[in-house]
Amino acid sequence: MITTSRRARLAWNIATYAVLITLTVFCIFPLVWTFLTSLKHEADIVTQTIQYIPTRITFDNYVAIWTQSGFPTLVMNSFVVTATTVLLCLITGTLAAYSFSRFHYRGRSALMLGYLVIRMFPAVLMIIPLFILMRGVGLLDSRLGLALAYTSFLLPLFVWMLKGFFDAAPKELESAARIDGCTRLGAMVRIVLPLARNGLVATSVFVAIAAWNEFLFALMLTTSQGSRTWPVGLQLMVGEFQLPWGVLAAGGIISIIPVMILFAIVQRTMVHGITAGAVKG
Amino acid sequence: MSTLTLNGVRKSFGSLDVLQSIDLKLEDGEFLVLLGPSGCGKSTLLNIIAGLETPTSGDILIGDKRVNDVHPKNRNIAMVFQSYALYPTMPVERNIGFGLEMRGVETDTRKRAVDGAARMLQVDHLLDRKPGQLSGGQRQRVAMGRAIVREPELFLFDEPLSNLDAKLRAEMRTEIKRLHNRLGTTVVYVTHDQIEAMTLGTRIAVMKGGVIQQLADPMTTYEKPANMFVAGFIGSPSMNFVHGSLARDGEHIVLRTEGKDPTTIRLPRVASNLDALAGRKVVLGVRPESFAANASAPDLTGTVDVVEPTGPDTLVVLTLGGQSLTARLGPKLAIAPGETLGLTIHPDSISLFDPDSGNRIA
Repeated sequence: MITTSRRARLAWNIATYAVLITLTVFCIFPLVWTFLTSLKHEADIVTQTIQYIPTRITFDNYVAIWTQSGFPTLVMNSFVVTATTVLLCLITGTLAAYSFSRFHYRGRSALMLGYLVIRMFPAVLMIIPLFILMRGVGLLDSRLGLALAYTSFLLPLFVWMLKGFFDAAPKELESAARIDGCTRLGAMVRIVLPLARNGLVATSVFVAIAAWNEFLFALMLTTSQGSRTWPVGLQLMVGEFQLPWGVLAAGGIISIIPVMILFAIVQRTMVHGITAGAVKG
Repeated sequence: MSTLTLNGVRKSFGSLDVLQSIDLKLEDGEFLVLLGPSGCGKSTLLNIIAGLETPTSGDILIGDKRVNDVHPKNRNIAMVFQSYALYPTMPVERNIGFGLEMRGVETDTRKRAVDGAARMLQVDHLLDRKPGQLSGGQRQRVAMGRAIVREPELFLFDEPLSNLDAKLRAEMRTEIKRLHNRLGTTVVYVTHDQIEAMTLGTRIAVMKGGVIQQLADPMTTYEKPANMFVAGFIGSPSMNFVHGSLARDGEHIVLRTEGKDPTTIRLPRVASNLDALAGRKVVLGVRPESFAANASAPDLTGTVDVVEPTGPDTLVVLTLGGQSLTARLGPKLAIAPGETLGLTIHPDSISLFDPDSGNRIA
């Protein structure tokens, strides 16, 4: 009896690990493949038989993309656009989420629902009106314009996530702070924001990663090297007659480094933040 | 220290009237307890005094100054919350000193004040800890430290002891009373615990449905409740109510009980003249401790239903005339359920209420 149940458990464990490992390989393989490709010589990439592990390692692809293309500018643009988006979300989204969480006013529910509805439209549908709007105000092909466009669809996510964190912070704390000498805004900044710090970090990272990786809006709303971001820049390197796989792979690897670093730094806070919001403290 | 005056304070949420015209005047150094069941409006009233909520109408005066439009931070009040509301991210020292910090008090002065308050409340060894590392009682002390350190004109307490266990609650109750004696600051204290109300307050405002039912000192509230709600809410076990009508019987006034098995209760001679009330339907109210066992000349006789020895005394539930009464009698009482028990009622300790309005008649 005991051996049967032990055997069943063992089989179950093996099955679990098998599924998990398969999934992990499935997720990681493209990344590893890109990384390996970026280290190969051009001649070793397109071969008759697939060569997984490179026989000769070279960093030429990295040197090439960094020195012989506009890649540094693309990365810089992405940095600026991402930072601006996060900043815009932080300033407006924090205030909006706080107001949704704490005040009851006419139209509050409708506004919150409106924020959600925006997320329901496919991005393609939003691009044309946004394009016309940006052209009208002269923000087409500018980093600020792109950041504003990102804010338009990332802000709802930011506000809804952060509202959950604010809801979890006891209202009595603010009452105490107001009696202790804070204004409403002061109580929010001094008492509630430090409490919702994990939530702020988690939501900001979400927004940052989404803005950093975004492709479609960037493709449509930017036209020149001065404002183009890295995903668009990389795509445009694919020419009609040439496909520089090694360089593209190197560009891809460079581009995901900031995301990986960000994740590594905030991983603990982020997981804590997400679960804290989920179970309300 | 200051006086507090409320003139016709009302509060409505939509069509719901939470407070209905509250009038109150608190003298300097008074300890007012707002007592009532959940939802009676006592916490709303406290929040209005604090400035955390605005009244729908009416005036609030601290000292001679109308403070309706004054921000909470400028009312010179301090409040202790039920959940303590300590700032979780700050150590105890900064928690206590936060109010002073916000008012721009210099670091040295602030530190001295915080140390003084912490020593007074015996939390001076905890100054470096975060609130999460403290026990319930310690948090309570820190919350009080935060209130006293600013030396406010008015202390507001919102059910500060309800999260503590019974032993600690009794300890902290004494502590609060000691603090009030020492500081002499005017206090408004919200609770639903009648023991806290009786032991702490110089006056008690018993509230129900947004209306103050009675505003009086604790003993008056206990001995001469204004209506049946107050009578039933204060005291444990609560006051006995017997429905019946008054009648003259020789030189005594008796209560003939209602119900299928009527009986009579002889009322003791009281200061107020009951003769004028003869023939009237009333509700008789007697506190459990106002009974005494007396077999020879009892005022009433009932059948013992339950005997509950509590140690210092014995609670006896008896039935008479289809109604049930609780008497608090002496310890080690040799009595068993089913026996007949004669009781006398202590003079000057009966209340008579109008059965329709519930208000006190005598």
